[in-house]
Amino acid sequence: MKRCSALALVALLAIPVAASAAAEKTLTVGAAVFPDSLRSGASSYASLSLLAQTNDPLIARDNKGDLHSALATSWEPVDPTTMRFHLRQGVKFSDGTEFTADDVVFTIGRVIDPATAYAMLSRIGQVASVTAVDKYTVDIKTKTVFPTLLRGLSDIIMEPKHYYEQAGAAAVAGHPIGTGPFIFQEWVPGDHYTLTTNKAYWGGAPKFDKLVIRTIPDGSTRVASLVAGESQVIEEVPIDLTDQVNTSGGAKVEEISTTVGLVLTFDPTIKPFDNPKVREAFDYAVNKPLILQQILKGQGELLQGQVLTKGVLGWNPDLKARPYDPDLARKMLQEAGYDFNTPVPIATQNGKYVSDTDICNAVAGMLNQIGVKATVNVIEGGVFMQMTNAQKLGPLYMVGWYSVGDADFASVWYTKGGYRTKWVDPEYEALFVAARSTNDVAERVKDYHRMMQILNEQNPSMFLFGLPSLYGLSDSVTGFGAAADKILRLTQVQFK
Amino acid sequence: MVGYIIRRLLFLPLTLLLVAFVTFVVLRLTGNPVDIFLDINRTPEQVAALTQRLHLDQPLPVQFLIFLRDLLHGDFGESLQFSGSAVSVVSQRVGATLQLAGAGLALAVVLGVLGGIVCAVWRDRLADAVISTLAVVGQSMPSFWLGLLLIQFFALQLHWLPTSGYGDARHVVLPAATLATILLPNFVLITRTAILELMGEQFVVTGRSKGLSRARVLTTHILPNAANPVLSFLGIQIGTLMAGSIITETIYAWPGVGRLLINSIFHRDVPVVEASVFFIAIAIAVANLMVDVLQMLIDPRIRRP
Repeated sequence: MKRCSALALVALLAIPVAASAAAEKTLTVGAAVFPDSLRSGASSYASLSLLAQTNDPLIARDNKGDLHSALATSWEPVDPTTMRFHLRQGVKFSDGTEFTADDVVFTIGRVIDPATAYAMLSRIGQVASVTAVDKYTVDIKTKTVFPTLLRGLSDIIMEPKHYYEQAGAAAVAGHPIGTGPFIFQEWVPGDHYTLTTNKAYWGGAPKFDKLVIRTIPDGSTRVASLVAGESQVIEEVPIDLTDQVNTSGGAKVEEISTTVGLVLTFDPTIKPFDNPKVREAFDYAVNKPLILQQILKGQGELLQGQVLTKGVLGWNPDLKARPYDPDLARKMLQEAGYDFNTPVPIATQNGKYVSDTDICNAVAGMLNQIGVKATVNVIEGGVFMQMTNAQKLGPLYMVGWYSVGDADFASVWYTKGGYRTKWVDPEYEALFVAARSTNDVAERVKDYHRMMQILNEQNPSMFLFGLPSLYGLSDSVTGFGAAADKILRLTQVQFK
Repeated sequence: MVGYIIRRLLFLPLTLLLVAFVTFVVLRLTGNPVDIFLDINRTPEQVAALTQRLHLDQPLPVQFLIFLRDLLHGDFGESLQFSGSAVSVVSQRVGATLQLAGAGLALAVVLGVLGGIVCAVWRDRLADAVISTLAVVGQSMPSFWLGLLLIQFFALQLHWLPTSGYGDARHVVLPAATLATILLPNFVLITRTAILELMGEQFVVTGRSKGLSRARVLTTHILPNAANPVLSFLGIQIGTLMAGSIITETIYAWPGVGRLLINSIFHRDVPVVEASVFFIAIAIAVANLMVDVLQMLIDPRIRRP
């Protein structure tokens, strides 16, 4: 009898829960990084990815990083420091209130108020004020010429003024209301976020009923949930599991290059790394194409001797990555009087970037082959941050810089004011300021090309790879694209 | 015995004070939480506000005293990353962890003790060899790997159970089994040893010689006496269970305190780290007290005045 009931129990457990699925189409996404709240203004794109489901920006980015109209339908400069935006008319927040210029004025005003501590403020840091011209027109004034205003605005979601005034910021974070494609239903911290489709969405209602974004922190489990059909989209497929997804028969991997440039930065205040020849020799000693092929499985791209990834505004097409030449590297080091007994610890975090520790190990191995005493020093994230702020990460350390489509955002880290490298070059500094101070795109591109050339000649960092973004996608859905900025764009997704 | 329990409870604050002190010191030693929590674009105003909020502008001993004062009010402060107090953030996750730990522990104790009895009764027979071998294999298997194997087999091959997540009873099976495997082998081996030792005791021999069946001797004489070493071991293992739940919760995306703790350490969400560690410390202390009381109920010899 006991055995019978045990069997019955097992049978009961095995009954699938698909009974209600026919009536309602639910898209389930397995998220790798799950933010801790729905508070707007956090610095991470993982947070923006959740907020962007309920709230739209004035100007939207697509998966490749190109800009499109969203809540603003058109815009034109009034003078060099004022941009006029014409808003989309007839758009309603999910509670039925109309979206107007008041909401834009409120949102931008809230973002630029230091008391809000809005981390994405730096994206539109030069904005001075915002005024409503009429119900559907706003003017945004900037302190200086601000060429990245439009791109910066694509990171700022529009929020409802009336709701903030009625309920307060804490209530908004607990239950956001927006004009976006989905409507808040339930938020369970550390577990999942459930939304329903906004049938009245101005951009066309998504063709499924419910969206569940689940956190699945472990990569293998995420893949398992995709293969088992529990989720239709998963973020961050671990690079060594891409074959498993592609051969599962029900899912495939979608890949796109992100704008993250992975680099190994030198500290030129530590001798002998003050000598550009030594830094250049190190660059020759690393077989980057081999690492790309073996560790990144050919996903992502080789950085062409600059921090920017291909296609970003300011990327210099004339530059090429240095070839792998260990003999030349050794010779250059000898000529530079390099002491081969100098210990070279490479500082890295583990799991911050795709295969970060593995890549550092490979680089250290290649440096060892030419006689350099390189080792890898894996540092816990919090401590790494602490060392970064103290600017004491040692002679060589791994970081990745996002450019999100514009050279300004990544090149700032090689300026004095960026506080992220001790390398200083007066010409580079001047060009950075110049490129920031004009709206003339051709002029800016010219400046960035020269800046990239300086980086290439001086090697403040070894420029390694543009990192890939890998999504797992079930064959049961269409219309999903991998996003360079890792923001989920789900309005076009359909079940087959 | 009530007096004993009260005295033990009086020691609890001392234990917790030590835990609080160590957590406090370690968190401060491994970096300024303000630097780690606020990102690259932080403004001086933000730094000043957070420094003040965490009382980091005070000397360390004063910080600790402020921390203790708030602690007495059950206040760990506001979470840095979640909206709400650290206590409410942690208490939202406690249920999930207790559920997982309870199921895992129950599974480990029941199966482990049964396995140990079988091994001892049929010592050096096939059953003993098989179970003891499995126990050693289980003991040496890393739980994250076992977890992935279970997902592969039960969720992907057989489609019996979900791969991960929190929900109905089906969701708890794989995580509980993974967690149980960490403890189960030890329960088998401890039970086996305890019973075998008792089998040579004079009262057992007497029981058999006066005509009691083997089963009768086992249930009335051996098992009650074997309960104590198993219980002591259980008390010690509560810590292992809590540590194991951190890994298990991560693999199975289980929204418990273990994963919350790890996540909060990465972000240096100091209030939540302190509240989580406190919860775990209380759980371990209370579980050990319960084990002691149970032992006293079972064995009159260790009944304290």
